[in-house]
Amino acid sequence: MDGNLVSYGLQYAGYLIEASLILCLIASRQRKRQVPLAFYLSSLLAAEVARACVLHAYGLKSRQYSDVYWRTDFLVVISLFILVCLFFRRACLHQEKMWRYLRLWLTFICLLVVGISGLLFSHQYGNLFTDFVVEFNQNLYFTCLVLNTLLYLLLQQIDSADDQLGLLVCGVGIQFAGPAATLALVHLMTRQGFAESLFEFTIPLCTLGMLLVWAYAIVPVRGRAVVTRSKATVLAEVTANLNV
Amino acid sequence: MKNLVLTFLLALLVVLTCVSIRRMLGGNSTFAGQNSALVAIGTSPVPPPPPPPK
Repeated sequence: MDGNLVSYGLQYAGYLIEASLILCLIASRQRKRQVPLAFYLSSLLAAEVARACVLHAYGLKSRQYSDVYWRTDFLVVISLFILVCLFFRRACLHQEKMWRYLRLWLTFICLLVVGISGLLFSHQYGNLFTDFVVEFNQNLYFTCLVLNTLLYLLLQQIDSADDQLGLLVCGVGIQFAGPAATLALVHLMTRQGFAESLFEFTIPLCTLGMLLVWAYAIVPVRGRAVVTRSKATVLAEVTANLNV
Repeated sequence: MKNLVLTFLLALLVVLTCVSIRRMLGGNSTFAGQNSALVAIGTSPVPPPPPPPK
């Protein structure tokens, strides 16, 4: 019963934060810049609403809920992959040459994930669509985990002045790294019951963690200015001040 | 052309690394069975994984 209460609490807190963040992005002054985030949050909220409706109608252990959950997860993972690609674009805003190279690389990665998931799945035929989707989701999830880590390293390498992007990437990192680390822990632990109950709460908690970090990055707070100017602009301003 | 091949090989390296990590953590079977956990996104409760194909 307590576990159910915590689960419901996490579920509805998630919906509330997602809806609030979408409203905040719509009302934001930098609306155009935040379109990728609004797109991802909208698809996440749509998936969550569909899951909640089926969960309410059929229950947690029903085949219908399982099907809808993994199919909507496909939508969410694809949206997150697109979001990570758009974060790469934002990181390379002033470096067109690097972006041209990255664009090709990301396209190859997407095609290879589809191809390899198909190859790994080709000798098994069950519920074709759902099973392929689960295989593809898991592979794309781990690919996004690695891509997000590479993006974080890239931001450090180019010494990006976009603090908001850094926070957004860290939020995505929580979403990816938390469940992956717990999955590793589950396989190391001998007490399967405890490991499974730990894993049950990790995914919602990590999604909430990501949403809260994003809220910190997006919601304007008086006295906390988000630096979005390029390094060259800052240097030019400092030099101009020194000359005066 | 050389850049294209290099880009492709880098993408292949990344994807194969990711699939290997995933298979290492999620068990050796291609498709996760009843006893494996699957990663997902969202705050909704996670259902049990679908049964393995027959």
